[in-house]
Amino acid sequence: MTTNSLTERYVHEVTRRIPADQRDEVAAELRASIADTIEGGVADEREVLNEMGDPIRLAAEYADRPLALIGSSTYPAYVRLLKVLLVVVLPIVVVALTVIDVMESNDAGSALGVAIATFFEVGVQIAFWVTLTFALMDRLLSKEEKQETLGKWKPEDLPEITGHDTGSRAELGASILTALGGIGLIVWQRTAEPVTSEAGDRLQVINPDLWSGLIWIPLAGLAIMAVAELARVRDRRHTLPVLAAFSLGELAFSIPVAWWLWDQTFFNPAFLADLENKTDWTPSSGLYTLVALVLLGSAAWEIGKRVRLLLKPR
Amino acid sequence: MRDVTTESTSDTITAQAQELRRGTVVLACLAMLATPQYGYALLETLNEAGVTVDGNTLYPLLRRLEKQGLLTSEWNTDEARPRKFYVTSAEGSRVCAGLTREWTDLVASINTLTKEA
Repeated sequence: MTTNSLTERYVHEVTRRIPADQRDEVAAELRASIADTIEGGVADEREVLNEMGDPIRLAAEYADRPLALIGSSTYPAYVRLLKVLLVVVLPIVVVALTVIDVMESNDAGSALGVAIATFFEVGVQIAFWVTLTFALMDRLLSKEEKQETLGKWKPEDLPEITGHDTGSRAELGASILTALGGIGLIVWQRTAEPVTSEAGDRLQVINPDLWSGLIWIPLAGLAIMAVAELARVRDRRHTLPVLAAFSLGELAFSIPVAWWLWDQTFFNPAFLADLENKTDWTPSSGLYTLVALVLLGSAAWEIGKRVRLLLKPR
Repeated sequence: MRDVTTESTSDTITAQAQELRRGTVVLACLAMLATPQYGYALLETLNEAGVTVDGNTLYPLLRRLEKQGLLTSEWNTDEARPRKFYVTSAEGSRVCAGLTREWTDLVASINTLTKEA
């Protein structure tokens, strides 16, 4: 038997993944079984080995090892923990570090960079370490130890149905934060002048002329939206007056902004000129129209969604 | 009444039947290895008897049963190349008898169930 025959290579691949004390025995047995099968005459060497299958899989069978990274005994706990960390802890960390960066540098580009970089770096780190920990736990802990550490699910763990529609608690939080964040961003960019032009001036992103005019309408709209959503948290359901207020706020925000976009008076001309200097690109009128339409469309969608939920029979 | 099984029905039957047979492999091995056999010969006999099993399942299974004390193994060095054969141990025979009783009970229960259905 040549040392480089398919059989030898196969046996080597399987047995090197088996604990050393069993290696020789399994190797001998495997060689004999493969030779017996070939002698049986139904298939040749290659077909027999093909039937025997992936060496990793066979070695796992011999060594009584699981063929999964995180087995079914630890998987539910893993999913729950990962979700909590990524949905709750990650945004907090990203926001915190971005706010720190804004306070230090007062620059929009830098803040955006920090936000994106933190999101990926911290997100990946969280996913990796949680996965590694659970993979080790799955392999090293006995069943009793797992139950002790991870706890067994009991009916008391079931979350209450709060009367909100499914998944809407997260949506609610997001919409309140977006509205408040919108106000914050609009006001901040005026005072902090986050963009540094090529000539070294500090620029606002939104057209400063709007501030002597009607910018307060969309700002008020955002504020009304935030209050309306907060009222919905208190009410725990959709009500007509709150919905009316929300729609008013949504329209107060979207219609002027869409108009300014379409009219191409939304952005600071100095900012646009600087953008063109830096990147050789100006937004086309088609792009403006598209964004305006998308804004109006999404406003209609949000209002329509809430109307539909209001009218849904209970 | 004419049996009108579509292709997908017979596929489902085949898949579920495989699950049924999978449960019987250990009992079949313990029973057949009352007489010593080589691994490959056992594989052939099992497949012919309708207990379909692959080599990559059977060989690790035989080792596991040996580790549990239900089988003993020996190497036959008389022939041109050494071959390993298994035989049911005393403990294995006891377990086989117990499993056979379980099997008979199970068959009776299922027969009753399926008659009622």
